[in-house]
Amino acid sequence: MALPHVSRIVHSPKDFRVRDEALEAAFARRDATAYERAYQQFGARMYTSALRVLRDKELAHDCVHDVLLHLWRKGTSYSPARGNLEAFLVVCVRNAALTRARDDARRRALLAEAPPPATSTLDADPFEHAHVTEALSKLSETQAKTIQLAYYRGMTHTEIAAALSEPVGTIKSRISNALRTLRDALGKESLR
Amino acid sequence: MNDSHIGENAELYAVGSLDELERQRVEAHVANCADCLRRLGQAEETVLGLERETQAAPLPADARAPQFIAPRRAVWWLGALAAAAALIIGYLLPHPPTASNGPAQVAMLHSHFNHAQFTGAGPLAKVIYARDRSWYYVIVEGSHAYSVEGVGTSGTIDLGSVTTRDGTSELFVPHARRFERIELRDGPNVVETAQIR
Repeated sequence: MALPHVSRIVHSPKDFRVRDEALEAAFARRDATAYERAYQQFGARMYTSALRVLRDKELAHDCVHDVLLHLWRKGTSYSPARGNLEAFLVVCVRNAALTRARDDARRRALLAEAPPPATSTLDADPFEHAHVTEALSKLSETQAKTIQLAYYRGMTHTEIAAALSEPVGTIKSRISNALRTLRDALGKESLR
Repeated sequence: MNDSHIGENAELYAVGSLDELERQRVEAHVANCADCLRRLGQAEETVLGLERETQAAPLPADARAPQFIAPRRAVWWLGALAAAAALIIGYLLPHPPTASNGPAQVAMLHSHFNHAQFTGAGPLAKVIYARDRSWYYVIVEGSHAYSVEGVGTSGTIDLGSVTTRDGTSELFVPHARRFERIELRDGPNVVETAQIR
């Protein structure tokens, strides 16, 4: 029997991931109950993403609140045609956290000097960690270096261009190509 | 990013390598471009795949969900309508309205009208329009001089810029043309769009 409101079920060795299309549609309509459910379902993942950047539990949770309330007040820019709601929210909160970190000179220095965060304050997911490591191995050396600086260290493309003494356009293309390679390597279906 | 599509900026947005202004430009573009919206969504899903490398940490024990209370946007534009209503009453009296936005109130007095919310990366904004599309009245929170364009099947028309009055900016357009959407622009960038139905 078909499940109502659910069109994509993704099998992974770890669990089942189900996109709740009713929730996504209600969130896009700016339904208060949908926002509460989004916090319940994705709040921990959003919090973790903010924590990876900010390394401060209170700031990270404030960031989750701020992002959801901003979307709520402003009117969300999400629509189901964009894709996975969880991915949208995670990127929103990650970008908000990066903005805060960049605005804070002390945290900016911390970011530049820090090791990759997964091994420091957060627990790796063994299956997903292996999956991501394998995907990262598909990148060229220069792509891997650029992704390291862009994603893991939170640097802007202009900062990376300055750090590597390369043109901004080259860095932009490299980040774009690297992320598209990672999408193929991670498996498009498993990302939804 | 060229004038047409966001291109590589989809991946840069998702990975966090754009600054706030560049992100706003991406958001404004994808509000009206299904292809770029899809590319951006795919890039976001890839970043989610990377984020899943770590287990989701439990929320702090004392964490509470945000309170999603009916936002201010539900009422802010009603102030403009209240002012309009007051002036309409004034119009019914022997002396006609003298306020700068008198034409908007007069138009509302004589028409059935709808309203539509702007969405995008810009300020709170709303367009009130006659059901027969004989006029449009754009209200924007704040005092920035956004330009307004109407987009229809026959192309895009520059409708002018909003002017500030009492903390909100507005533009009344007596324009008998059917638009599919109204766009707020800041220079060359579309920051907000309202769909006319």
